[in-house]
Amino acid sequence: MNGYGGNILRVNLTTGKIAKEPTPPELARDFLGGRGFGAYFLFQEVPQGADPLGPENKLIISSGPLSGLLIPGAGKCDFACKSPLTGGYAGASLGGHLTAEIKYAGLDSIILEGISPKPVYLFIDDDRIELRDAASLWGKGAITVEKALKDQLGEEFQIACVGPGAENGVRYAHINHDYGRQAGRGGVGTVMGAKKVKALAIRGTRAIPVADLDAYRRAARNLYDACKQSELLKPWQNLGTTMVVSWCDEVGALPTRNFSAGSFEGGKTLYGPVMREQIVVTDKGCFGCPSPCGKYSRTKRYGTNVEGPEYETIGMIGSNLGIANIEDVAQINFLCDEWGVDTISAGGAIAWAMECYEKGILTKAETGGLDLKFGNVEAVLTLIPQIAKREGLGALLAEGTRRAARALGKGSEKFAIEVKGMEQSAYATHSATAMLLAYMTADVGAHHNRAWAITYDLQVGRELVNADKVARVIWLQHIRPMFDTLGACRLQWVELNIDLELYPPALAAITGVERSWRDLELVSERIWNLTRMYWVREVPGFGRAWDMPPQRFYAEPPKTGVTAGKITSLDDVNKLLDLYYEQRGWDANGLPKPETLKRLGLDKLVA
Amino acid sequence: MSARLHALGILKAYLGGKNEVVVETGNTVRETIRALDIPPEIVALVLVNDTPQSKEYRVQDGDVVTLMAVVGGG
Repeated sequence: MNGYGGNILRVNLTTGKIAKEPTPPELARDFLGGRGFGAYFLFQEVPQGADPLGPENKLIISSGPLSGLLIPGAGKCDFACKSPLTGGYAGASLGGHLTAEIKYAGLDSIILEGISPKPVYLFIDDDRIELRDAASLWGKGAITVEKALKDQLGEEFQIACVGPGAENGVRYAHINHDYGRQAGRGGVGTVMGAKKVKALAIRGTRAIPVADLDAYRRAARNLYDACKQSELLKPWQNLGTTMVVSWCDEVGALPTRNFSAGSFEGGKTLYGPVMREQIVVTDKGCFGCPSPCGKYSRTKRYGTNVEGPEYETIGMIGSNLGIANIEDVAQINFLCDEWGVDTISAGGAIAWAMECYEKGILTKAETGGLDLKFGNVEAVLTLIPQIAKREGLGALLAEGTRRAARALGKGSEKFAIEVKGMEQSAYATHSATAMLLAYMTADVGAHHNRAWAITYDLQVGRELVNADKVARVIWLQHIRPMFDTLGACRLQWVELNIDLELYPPALAAITGVERSWRDLELVSERIWNLTRMYWVREVPGFGRAWDMPPQRFYAEPPKTGVTAGKITSLDDVNKLLDLYYEQRGWDANGLPKPETLKRLGLDKLVA
Repeated sequence: MSARLHALGILKAYLGGKNEVVVETGNTVRETIRALDIPPEIVALVLVNDTPQSKEYRVQDGDVVTLMAVVGGG
């Protein structure tokens, strides 16, 4: 099948059985690949009510039809499973080089099933596929394990591995790859750890069949030329995602002290140019990338190397913890990477604990003597390993903010900054209604990946609530995740502003199937409704209440910064949801209507 | 006494589609872009002679000021 590896690999960890089956053409037609394959297999194969950490859950690792080909940033890999953090759909996207090797090994998806009786790693060298003993790797840090396997197997093998956080069931453990890129959110690493799989090591050498080689070369050249000719390339490559730190601080979107404000008095020490000057060693890109936005850094104070910090990490474990030193943020980033926990959720959980401490809800008796005030770097450096090992206060925070707040009570639920159980990523949304709606309705919980609408808020009026704004969020929720479905990076479109219309000719030349963006948006809408139906199926009583934002964003206006005194009203929150459900073809409780499911060809699948 | 202001990406629309305009010196970048009816809050990055600067930087003779908006985020 043109554009595809051609096979689905099933690895039953309980029995050790390894089997390949051809990738169904109708699956490629209706769900394309990547995120689409992950959502389909999850819905279809993981039984209702499965324990996320039990043998019935599956970890589905998928490439897309553009992965591994000469398309800018065609190194995106999708990880899907039932989330141990939220109980609903988890879909996490990973950059780097893993997905190219999956394709070169003749695979489209790898489905990990069951639970291994002992720690293993999955070894794939084209057709040689084995579960190998990982006893000597168990308990070791994710970056350390990646290096050990590279040393042992060779640089050509691409490694994805988990750290101790995943082994110990931290509900937001990540999967590390390429020394600091992660499938970070929703606990996809937790599921891999629960299955006793320490790592994947993959090398492939096959060619990927392409329908029209000449057209593919032309379309690929057009894409790369557009990237190289973009006048935005140089500044983007210089700063990467850290470009927005200063901007967020200026417009009141930089999460500060558990999202109590959107501007940080120490923010200037975290700005992109400061980081570039103080700690960045080099730029780092993913597969096929003409605009490497990754920054590889070295801290003088700690003597450690780390990829990043990215914007989200700077926001969540910098300003959101009251920490105003980029070296400290980089070191906490390094610890999260090595111990195997998501920086966004860890930052959210620790910020919540710091607010509890400052309000007297947590005392030194519960913190193990830590003076957990905002800005205490040493306390955070101590807490990351404690979370990964589930020791002391770390055992509570390893549960994620929603569970921790429910366990602690005492009013702490009011400042648990999460949606659907996932900690909100690094945009303060007191006065940015499109971004607020994006977080409320993202299909994994409060993550920015699906729709990043905050600049739109600034362009059209941040407090505005109307149908156009809602339509913009839905359009973004279809376009941006399509890149995770195709297996390529969206940032060349997003940041270099290259023309979206350059992609369909490349996809058609590769797969032999003509698809317009209208066609691709329909596939995205199908996937969006399928993940919605997964929540409906798995979470008893799921509906509108699960889309509500943290109370802080409609009841507690910031006291400082440019958004001081500003807040979205509860009436406007409800108006946003009403408009959103109407445009999506969902009922007033947020459930897809039968006619919507039928229009998208999902009626039989979800019946 | 003048400087050049260069707008990238979507900011070009505020310059009537032009890449570049001549601006007066002595004003801050914030004042300069307000005078051009560019909302300062949509400008994510200011480069002066290829070096990042804040919007409070005072434009000097011969400067090349480059503005970049945040388009779509990470």
